[in-house]
Amino acid sequence: MSVMLTKFESKSNRVKGLAFHPTQPLLAASLHNGSVQLWNYRMGVLVDRFEEHEGPVRGVAIHPSRALLVTGGDDYKIKVWDIRPQNRRCLFTLHGHLDYVRTVQFHHEMPWILSASDDQTIRIWNSTSRNCIAILTGHSHYVMSAQFHPKEDLVVSASQDQTVRVWDISGLRRSTPNTAPGTFDTFDNFSTVKYVLEGHDRGVNFASFHPTLPLIVSAADDRQIKIWRMSENRAWEVDACRGHFNNVSTALFHPKHELIVSCGEDKTVRVWDLTKRSAVQTFRREHDRFWVLAAHPELNLFAAGHDNGLIVFKLERERPAFTMHGDVLYYVRDKYVRSYDINTGSDIGLLSIRKFGSPYVPPRTLSYNPAERAVIVTITSDNGLYELTTLPKDVVGEVKDSSTDGKRGSGQAAIFVARNRFAVLNKTSQLIEVRDMANSVVKTIKPPVVTNEIFYGGTASLILSSTSSVVLYDIQQQKTLAEITTPPVKYVIWSADGSLVALLSKHTITIANKNFSQHTLIHETIRIKSGAWDDSGVFIYSTLNHIKYCLAQGDHGVICTLDNPVYLTRVKGKTVHCLDRSARPRTITIDPTEYRFKLALLRNNHEEMLYIIRTSNLLGQSIIAYLQQKGFPEIALHFVQDKTTRFDLAIECGNLDVALETARAIDRPECWERLAQQALKQGNHKIVEKAYQQTKNFDRLSFLYLATGSTEKLSKMAKIADARGDPMSRFHNALYSGDVLGRIAVLRDVGMHPLAYLTAKTNGLEDIALEILEAAGLTEDDVDDVPSFGTSTLRPPPIITPTADLNWPSISTGESFFERALANGNLEGGSEVPYMNGHDTGVAASSALDEWAKDEEIREDIAADEDGWDLDVGGEEAAAEPEKEELEVEADLGAGANPGISETELWTRNSPFAGDHVAAGSFDTAMQLLNRQFGVVNFANIKPLFVSTYRSSHAYLSPVASLPPLQLHLRRNPEESAPSRILPVTPRTLQSVRSELSEGFRAVSGNKLPEAQVIFRSVLQVLLLVPVSSDSEAKEWRDLVTLAREYLLGVSLELERRHVAQTDPENVKRSLELAAYFTQCQLQPPHLQIALRSAIGVFAKANNHATAAKFARRLLELNPDPKIVAQARQRIAAGDRNPRNAVDIDYDEFTEFDICAASYTPIYKGSPAVRCPYTDAAYLPEFKGKLDSLIQLTEIGASSSGLPAPRS
Amino acid sequence: MDSSELYHIKQQFTLGAYKSLVDLTLPDPNSPDYNPTLIYKARAYIALDKPSEALKLLPSESENLALKAVSALAKYVEAESAEQGGESILEELRDLCVEIEGDDVEADDREKGLVKVLAGTAFARAGEVEEALETLGAGTHTENLEAVSVIVQIYLSINRPDLATKEFNLAKRWAEDDILLQLIESSIALVTGKDAYSDPHSFYTEQLANPSLSSPHLLTARGVTRLLRGEVSAAKSDLEEATAQLGGAPDKETLAALTVANGLGATKLADAEQCWSQLKSQYPTFPLVKDIERKAAQFDDLASNFEVPPLAVASA
Repeated sequence: MSVMLTKFESKSNRVKGLAFHPTQPLLAASLHNGSVQLWNYRMGVLVDRFEEHEGPVRGVAIHPSRALLVTGGDDYKIKVWDIRPQNRRCLFTLHGHLDYVRTVQFHHEMPWILSASDDQTIRIWNSTSRNCIAILTGHSHYVMSAQFHPKEDLVVSASQDQTVRVWDISGLRRSTPNTAPGTFDTFDNFSTVKYVLEGHDRGVNFASFHPTLPLIVSAADDRQIKIWRMSENRAWEVDACRGHFNNVSTALFHPKHELIVSCGEDKTVRVWDLTKRSAVQTFRREHDRFWVLAAHPELNLFAAGHDNGLIVFKLERERPAFTMHGDVLYYVRDKYVRSYDINTGSDIGLLSIRKFGSPYVPPRTLSYNPAERAVIVTITSDNGLYELTTLPKDVVGEVKDSSTDGKRGSGQAAIFVARNRFAVLNKTSQLIEVRDMANSVVKTIKPPVVTNEIFYGGTASLILSSTSSVVLYDIQQQKTLAEITTPPVKYVIWSADGSLVALLSKHTITIANKNFSQHTLIHETIRIKSGAWDDSGVFIYSTLNHIKYCLAQGDHGVICTLDNPVYLTRVKGKTVHCLDRSARPRTITIDPTEYRFKLALLRNNHEEMLYIIRTSNLLGQSIIAYLQQKGFPEIALHFVQDKTTRFDLAIECGNLDVALETARAIDRPECWERLAQQALKQGNHKIVEKAYQQTKNFDRLSFLYLATGSTEKLSKMAKIADARGDPMSRFHNALYSGDVLGRIAVLRDVGMHPLAYLTAKTNGLEDIALEILEAAGLTEDDVDDVPSFGTSTLRPPPIITPTADLNWPSISTGESFFERALANGNLEGGSEVPYMNGHDTGVAASSALDEWAKDEEIREDIAADEDGWDLDVGGEEAAAEPEKEELEVEADLGAGANPGISETELWTRNSPFAGDHVAAGSFDTAMQLLNRQFGVVNFANIKPLFVSTYRSSHAYLSPVASLPPLQLHLRRNPEESAPSRILPVTPRTLQSVRSELSEGFRAVSGNKLPEAQVIFRSVLQVLLLVPVSSDSEAKEWRDLVTLAREYLLGVSLELERRHVAQTDPENVKRSLELAAYFTQCQLQPPHLQIALRSAIGVFAKANNHATAAKFARRLLELNPDPKIVAQARQRIAAGDRNPRNAVDIDYDEFTEFDICAASYTPIYKGSPAVRCPYTDAAYLPEFKGKLDSLIQLTEIGASSSGLPAPRS
Repeated sequence: MDSSELYHIKQQFTLGAYKSLVDLTLPDPNSPDYNPTLIYKARAYIALDKPSEALKLLPSESENLALKAVSALAKYVEAESAEQGGESILEELRDLCVEIEGDDVEADDREKGLVKVLAGTAFARAGEVEEALETLGAGTHTENLEAVSVIVQIYLSINRPDLATKEFNLAKRWAEDDILLQLIESSIALVTGKDAYSDPHSFYTEQLANPSLSSPHLLTARGVTRLLRGEVSAAKSDLEEATAQLGGAPDKETLAALTVANGLGATKLADAEQCWSQLKSQYPTFPLVKDIERKAAQFDDLASNFEVPPLAVASA
């Protein structure tokens, strides 16, 4: 133990008693001046003070489970206090002791209070009945302390009579004695002295039990600490620890380790080895005698009270040495190097380092080298040591001890800096040695600053921490790369991709980039313990009592609170992996919403923000305030429900539409007034008008109408004023609208005849002037003393620009991503979680970021795919519409409702098939799709098809009288109503196409070839718009296309042949060729028979018997009617007789060929051909780029993507 | 409380039995039912696109705001079909709306509500959605079910079934099981397709069985519902029956629905075309007709974006 680590110190009067709170970071201290203090030692604040005792308070204890405090003072009183802040008070006082009370204690389970007093008694009180239930007598001098046994019904007491006594109080538990006051005699039954331990030569100040072993430790004025052992029937002194050179005040067993801690008036706190009874550690103070010592029941914490206050300390560093590599944590627990896989949770001990350094000191740091699978451990004992050891490959049986092949040396810090190099800092000599794996020095560096600590600084670099700065130092060039002024840096944490580094000091975090060119400093009032990088580049850190986050630009905030400090090792999504103070791996689930949102905000990652808004309840004033403060009120607007807040935000960001809508909802005059002001600023006088109307602000309204030149409305206002009977308003309106008569009328009505008269007069209305005079009972003569005024020129200004009907154009605030997305109702690729986190493997910690990148790529891919379908073309256009007006989906009911997404738009979104787009009326995208998928360029022919398909997909119905009918949309899946799945009806289905096709077949059989040609062509056109829903349907679709194509080609060939025969009967060769090609079409057997028979006939006629016979043979293979069989046999016979061909034709039945559908010539296998992108019909290369002649829709040879895959 | 005659009239109006309403004989002019009946009759005429008949029916000079509003709507519809701007009439309706807000108006709540409904209807026809909604008091908890029905239909027409549903749910709290409320519910389901259109289907089937009235409109409506449900042949029989009830002359909606029904499946394409040409010639302003014309024009525009290469023909 190199130092005693002081955690907290306070200055006060002499501290005589101390007690830790079992769960909270609270410490009660009783002072010599009569005050009892309650400290929060973690925050360093005085929580409360209890000042009712007169004179010194020596005993203090906190109830193990309730918020109770008990104190005992020199005023003989024992007081029990409620320490809850809301009702802190003294609950009751126990009277009975006749002298100073030295110690008090609560029993761990019974409602008992134990007290020791200078009146030579120990008393047990029932805190429920508030009576003394037992008086233990026997000591012959002051009883200096009394303690319950932690489990058994025993009490140990120490007295100035030089004895330590153990009392058996089991009788007390068995039968609660008569507790009526005044019956003291019954107490004797329970005051059984079990053992009297004699051995100290002076008065004994303190005695306590071991938490688990049958041991007692006592501290006495003879400067000794004695250890006693108990058995069933006796107790004896085991040993004594000598070393204090003055009275020993208190001695305690360490709750966890085999140690004794003591303090005394020799101004020391000492630590002893329980087994060896040797001093381990001494902590000395200059001036303060120690009076009391307390141990925390759970934590590795002690408190000691002295003449001028108290200190809280711990005996050893609790920060476990650990290092992360990928998802594997290497750490040291109980002097074993262990590995913990945070994915699998496997936790294995790898290496024992028990023989390394002092047994009482835990190792300080651990550095791991994945290449060599080696670790360097450092320890502070012996002035700093390091040890380099390789980890065993597999752990079987007993773990390896580092002493077998460990290479040691002295140094205060040692870390790996490269695969086969590590650096060792020697603080006293201020040298950094770079050593190789054999532990021999390769290089020695004199650091440029006084270095206290070294850290890995990136490849071949070190971070040197000095008292006032950190230096990034290049080992190879031996020069300083950069320097940042900061308080002493204690820990350094690199982000997974090595681009950012967090430098932790006691109260500050510096986030820097990897070359220290940019950095941010964050201050914390509470001590910072540890930190880890989230995979998205947020630094998560822990302080004594919080887990917090900080963004690279410096924003930080609390994620959650902690009961006890933890050491963060890794953050993966919502899970924080950490080590607790006993070096056990733990996980804490946090809510990362807030910082992810802020991060997304900073990065302008709107999709992520939107995702967060949608998926989590990110609400509350803080985030709204944050958005406002960061200048994004319009975003805050999107997820604020509260009307008033919405209104405020809308006014702030000048979003008049929302402001108007919410003002309507709130409908309070002050809102309308604010809206009017804001709208006035923006020149949106229509909203101003509305607001004024709402607040019945007639004056302003009139003036507004004057300003906008709306004479019509002014006259309306005049009417209203009339109705309201408000002459002033009438006068105003008359004035504004230049209505002289109106003005006169008002003046007359209110009896202001002189003014009325003059008004009439100056406006040249002599008749009316006279009338007024008459009404007033006067004549012209009576008013001849009135000077004559010229004609009034008072007129309302002429209207130059009629602004009444137009609003000032205002600069569009640009498209808000949120408006668009919220309007869309669903996120693009909504199923995707945009926030990918923590999928990295152990190989490279940075792969998590790759995931990010990959994720983005995937998204791009999707976008690209959609391009392929060309959904965007229509989609964008259509989406743009609602965007502009759409404010948010959850608009309150009201007049401000904006159009939603039409069903047709959903259809286009939900389907990649042209037919569905046509049904949706999105001809534009449908054409694009057809063009991309099938190379269709000539749409004129399929216009009727488009129109009828669209027509058949919508019905109209008006449920309410006289309103325009509702357009209803026919779906092919009526049982589906989820917007993402609905699809339009299919007026033409595969089935209907099939029946149409069979009509074509009938036409072929009936030799109505022109008709058949029309039908097949139409079938191919219809098929273009038939969507498929499964792979089998897709296959059927393709088969139908091929079938129709073959028939169309065959029919066209035959028609061409007839045409040739008619127009050019001499051209027998061509006629024969065409007949032969017809037989090559893939027709169904009955139709093939027709083709063959026709060919046989033609060939026979042309005396090409050989070929005719061949056709006949093929005919036979089809098992035709017997009659036909007979004919065929004849032909074969004829061919056999006369195996010649009179006309030489271009027909080679032995080579496979396609028939060019334009020139009707064969394209033999191997010859170049271009194809129709839709039907796959073959064409000679010369036709590339031309319109296909079969169906006259597509561009021959155009590239195409084909039928899109059905969406299941 | 309405008299039973009036209740019946209202029900007929709600269910679109306009034909029987216009044949109605008016009660005694002194009866309290006189005005309401007159109004329903006039509104039925308007609903049948015979605004001039309605105007004939209505007194030209009346102080009654509701009557004024009805005649304004009639005039508006007339002006609309004559393709004259109805802006002045809308202005008139706006004034009426302002008037009913005054305190000293001689009109009961029903009449006030009616003025709003009629004005809202006219505004909606004029495409003034926002004004219509505002006039009707969307989202303001006015207990005016007829207004709600108009609001709902407006919401539906702008693809906001969500808002329509909200409005409907609000109304459900106070309107109990009014037939109009059921109609509203079924209209919403017609748009959203909730539960495979079971609401409108059962509603219209139920009302068809209602002995107290018969209305081809209900048959048409069920036909359309069946179309939406994909029951094409059943739909066709409904629509044909509706045509028969209409004396062989289908109204525009029935005709439009028949066009659609015949267009589904390739068998009756000729019928579809025939219905279509009938619809086109008889009701050139019907939304479907206009829409298709627009689409056809759009098609030509769009098709011209693609360059059509010369036809592949074998050069001799």
